[in-house]
Amino acid sequence: MTEEELIKLSQSGDRKALSELVKKYEKTVYNFAFKICRDKERAEHTMQETFLSMVKSIGQFEGKSKLSTWLYTVITNHCLMAARTGKKHEWNSLDDEIDIFEEKNISSWNVDPEKVFEDNELKEQLDKAISKLPTDYRIVFLLRDVEGLSTAETGEIANLSVPAVKSRLHRARIFLREELNKVLQYEA
Amino acid sequence: MKLKEIKCKKVIDFLCDNIEIDFDKECCEKIKNHVHECEMCKKYFDTLKITAKCYQNYNVDLSKESHQKLINKLGLEE
Ligand SMILES: [Zn+2]
Repeated sequence: MTEEELIKLSQSGDRKALSELVKKYEKTVYNFAFKICRDKERAEHTMQETFLSMVKSIGQFEGKSKLSTWLYTVITNHCLMAARTGKKHEWNSLDDEIDIFEEKNISSWNVDPEKVFEDNELKEQLDKAISKLPTDYRIVFLLRDVEGLSTAETGEIANLSVPAVKSRLHRARIFLREELNKVLQYEA
Repeated sequence: MKLKEIKCKKVIDFLCDNIEIDFDKECCEKIKNHVHECEMCKKYFDTLKITAKCYQNYNVDLSKESHQKLINKLGLEE
């Protein structure tokens, strides 16, 4: 059955189709939530809230954007809201121009991205680095560079213009690079 | 602004839209040439690829219990 058919059936009250949709997207939703908050418990909570919201409003889903885009938007809003009520450490409003960052001492990195899943020390370093990034920058980086969405889709989900997406993405990349460079560079 | 900076800005802008440089595509020729000769852009490109890969490969498993809890919470059945 196609996704479109599953949505149609769900809208007419078919619970089985609805659970098919949940099964189709639960891993993506859980992982994206985890990648933002870096905490399994909070990721599970976000996943539940996201699907509760989907079940509640599937009737109004018009299919103008993809269901995945819609789910990413719900997760994004949920996490932004949580960040706002939490500790305030967002960066101050920056303009949307791309700045050139002349790198200081970026060296070659001693890391194999294919071995991330078995390297707990590396995982910890990745958690630490991204956790220092303000939530809205983290979301742009994750949507674009990790989930592989386009700058336009990222803008739609994060409610930002394309130039704003690009400048945040660039800043997030530079920031992560500097953080990771401290721990991943080859020792001299 | 210096000419080199304008070129670097173009590369950064390009890499915001494309995480990969398709080295076979003709339109990427200028970007490719600049990245080959500009150390700053080369490092930018290399590190951003590694960074993205690391975070892409860092995934968590959804346990059976968590899946079941979700289904129950939503009042759905398997
Ligand atoms: Zn350059």
